[in-house]
Amino acid sequence: MDKVGIVGYNQVKCYSDANYGRYEMIFEAVRGAIDNAGLKKKDITTVISATNDYYDGRTISNCFTVEVGGGYMADESKVEMDGAHAMLYGLMRILSGNHKLAVIWGGSMPSCYPYHSARLYETDPTWERPNAYVNDITSSGFQMRAYMEKYGLSKEDIAKVAVKNKKNAAKNPLALEESQNPNISISDVLEAEIYADPVTELMVAPPCDSVAAVLLAPERQAVKITDKPVWITGVGWNQETYYLGERDLSQSTSMEHAAKAAYDMAGISNPRNDLDVAELFEVCAHEELIFTEALGLVEKGKGPQLNTEINGDFPINPSGGALGGNPPCATGLIRIIEAVKQIRGEAGQYQVGDVKRAVASGQIGMCAQNNILYVLEGEN
Amino acid sequence: MSKQTQRKSMDYVKKEYKRTRTMPANWYLSSYEYKFNITHMQPFLKKLKEKKLVANKCSGCNRVFFPPRLVCGKCLVKPDRWVDIRDTARVATYAIAYLKDENSEVQEKPMVLVHHDGADTSSIAELAPGVDVKDTYISMPIKAHWKDNPEGGLMDIEYYDLMDDDAEDLNESK
Amino acid sequence: MGRQVAIVSAGYSEHASKRSDVSMPELVNEAIEDCLAKVPSVELKDIDAFVNGNMPAFEGSNIPELWMTDWMGARNKPLMRVTTGGTTGGSVAISGYYTVTAGIPGIDTVLAIAFEQQSQGDTSVGLASVAYGEISILNSLGISYDQLNRLLSAGAAIGVAAYQATTYMSKANITEEDLARVVVQNRRNAAKTWWAHLKMPDLTIADVLDTPYVQYPLRYGMVCPASDGAVAMLFTTEEKAKDMCDIPVYVNGVASVANETAVLGYDGSGSAQLDPSEQLGAMKSADLAYSQAGISFPRKEIDYAEVYAPFPNQELMWVEKLGLFEETTAPEMYETGVTAHKGELPVNCSGGVNSTNAIAASAMERPSEAALQIMGKASNQVPKTVHTSIGSGWGGSLNLITLMAMSDEPKRKWK
Repeated sequence: MDKVGIVGYNQVKCYSDANYGRYEMIFEAVRGAIDNAGLKKKDITTVISATNDYYDGRTISNCFTVEVGGGYMADESKVEMDGAHAMLYGLMRILSGNHKLAVIWGGSMPSCYPYHSARLYETDPTWERPNAYVNDITSSGFQMRAYMEKYGLSKEDIAKVAVKNKKNAAKNPLALEESQNPNISISDVLEAEIYADPVTELMVAPPCDSVAAVLLAPERQAVKITDKPVWITGVGWNQETYYLGERDLSQSTSMEHAAKAAYDMAGISNPRNDLDVAELFEVCAHEELIFTEALGLVEKGKGPQLNTEINGDFPINPSGGALGGNPPCATGLIRIIEAVKQIRGEAGQYQVGDVKRAVASGQIGMCAQNNILYVLEGEN
Repeated sequence: MSKQTQRKSMDYVKKEYKRTRTMPANWYLSSYEYKFNITHMQPFLKKLKEKKLVANKCSGCNRVFFPPRLVCGKCLVKPDRWVDIRDTARVATYAIAYLKDENSEVQEKPMVLVHHDGADTSSIAELAPGVDVKDTYISMPIKAHWKDNPEGGLMDIEYYDLMDDDAEDLNESK
Repeated sequence: MGRQVAIVSAGYSEHASKRSDVSMPELVNEAIEDCLAKVPSVELKDIDAFVNGNMPAFEGSNIPELWMTDWMGARNKPLMRVTTGGTTGGSVAISGYYTVTAGIPGIDTVLAIAFEQQSQGDTSVGLASVAYGEISILNSLGISYDQLNRLLSAGAAIGVAAYQATTYMSKANITEEDLARVVVQNRRNAAKTWWAHLKMPDLTIADVLDTPYVQYPLRYGMVCPASDGAVAMLFTTEEKAKDMCDIPVYVNGVASVANETAVLGYDGSGSAQLDPSEQLGAMKSADLAYSQAGISFPRKEIDYAEVYAPFPNQELMWVEKLGLFEETTAPEMYETGVTAHKGELPVNCSGGVNSTNAIAASAMERPSEAALQIMGKASNQVPKTVHTSIGSGWGGSLNLITLMAMSDEPKRKWK
């Protein structure tokens, strides 16, 4: 695979109820990314957006965003998944040699609609939707229970992840303000409102308004655009089966497949040594542990034993992860941006020493049915 | 479709299908609250009260947007200049919808896209009630008909009047 | 640089207004089975990745392939979902092309699937909600919903098409009869295509003109039906394609250029597409795709065209904008039979979208049918030998145009 570089990025701060119009927010993200790379509108050859008709409350949600998203007279398309999947399509377009600069943006405004009820429309309309038993929250409950039972873990082990991420989010100026809590404790998490036992409010990634944008360019162009391009050296994406009863919820098969593909591509044999930091899209705190294991960073069931603080053995989600703000369709893209910031040394307060290689993930579906993983590398 | 054609088509479509079970479900948007920002429209709405039209202009491509627009897609910048435009316009294009009213009688509902002189965009509007839309032609000159007491809303221009035109070459283009 | 991509097969489900004999997964499965049946050496396990899409609002189910994973055979396989409204099928086909051409290790054979079961949902609600956001903005700017309803009754696809028809008819100076002629050609062609929906072998121009107006100048008999259906296409690399089928069809150019929306702009602003039949986006798409494919003289080099046109005026307009005919001469070509089944440049021999419109699948049926014509496996195969063909799609508010140019020989070396 040829080298493709991330040459610019921008993210609008997460708000629980943003004082923005939809188009204004998209414009700010895309314009900011282009300014970040020092380019102009005419340089854009292709635009890939990540939006969802149900999250935007309209059919063809990319219809009216052509202009504000920089897509005027550009080769445009939409991936109706996570922003990270949209970047995959952008990556393919760059790799094809047809395009020289791809803009990928994604985002949504859940302050306009009840996000968790909207997720119900993703379930099987015949068997599961009429009962409304399965949505993102309850399936997270199933998964957390399955994971805890299988490896004999306690709620505290899971709550520790939420505490770490919320503390990290406090250092991230773009994270959701409501999620930024430097003084949070394990008992705060466990005593918060129960969403679906054992999942509590503070374990769930809070939906919020934001849009993020990333610019991709082929190697030759990327080195001209920026001194600090971040290369995509590996990518893997995978979808497992839907029905929760058919899956082993205590692990993430799709993430294992995705990680294998991405590691093979990037030539990573020992992820724990070869990688420096991970930015994972966790819908619920325990998913971070499951992903940590699926990525081969620790053995199965040993996730809670790994010190993943910013200064720990293997930092995960130094930006606060999705628990620091989960704008639908943008979260995966924000994870990539945070990994890029770490590699470029632009993460400020939550910078993890010297980062050479990072992974970032995105997901959609109940219990992370479809996962995508990127391996990103710096210049040296 | 005439009865004749319908019968013809049914012959080819009809097939003995065993029905599947169906399950009622709905997708409703009632819980969706659209969020938007119209700050960039304020100067325009304010001027409407004075029966004046203003549009914003992109300094990158010099296009004039009426009604005002947040972002010029061509240049990806916010238009930053304001220009006055006239209340005369031309028909960019038109169509007639046939909709049933409450008494389920089919009503002709004409619509035109209006292109204001001096602007580079067109907007959707109605013609004066008396106009037979089938006499409409593309690039027909029209003029805004103002409400008596404008309130600063888009409906301050109630509809568009036809403009008298003596030029013979215009008549030919009908 | 990208790899050369080939189409080795395409399959359809049967299309009808209500496929109540099957559920959505079964419908998709029909298309996949038909697609794989044409390439006996390929099994489901040989497929490395999936791309798919539909219009989620029309079935009231968001991201349906989540729960349809197993019916597609995509369990534990890479899957990507691309949706762009009316052009979904075209965008899915293009993303299938990009997935192969990108050269990501381990991903050579890609199955692209587009499907729609409109009878499950309420299409008019789905279509009307395209502009809900914009309508609520206009409402806050002082237009009452009542009036908006009147103004934007044309909000759905037919509305923008009617505006377009008016401008095109005024430019080309044609009558409704010319429009009806296109419909007749399409529906007669559809009668010879096994999967098509509206099959009318004896339709006449008078029959079409006998129907009432839906929206002036479009009559009921000219408008596309609403169908249920699915389509699948198999993309692979040049090397593998040669083992899979006799005549692989090489995808040499793709484009999906977006223009700004016609009729209604975002945030309730106007549209700079003053003439909806001008279609700068289509012309740029054609430029891009043809230059990638090395087509310099589209009129001479293209042997067959599948044009996405739910309404007859659009078919006339697209064939011109895509460079097949001189501006405003298309009606003449239809009259003289140039575009007929036996003509010099046959257009829409599958019956086109005008006869079968399963929203998301439609835009993919265009490139798939164009590919089958090159392979010689099309249901309504044209008598002439087809070397180069194109398949197009449009969607949104006349603002997104997809185009795929195919040939029986790989891309020319000079690019």
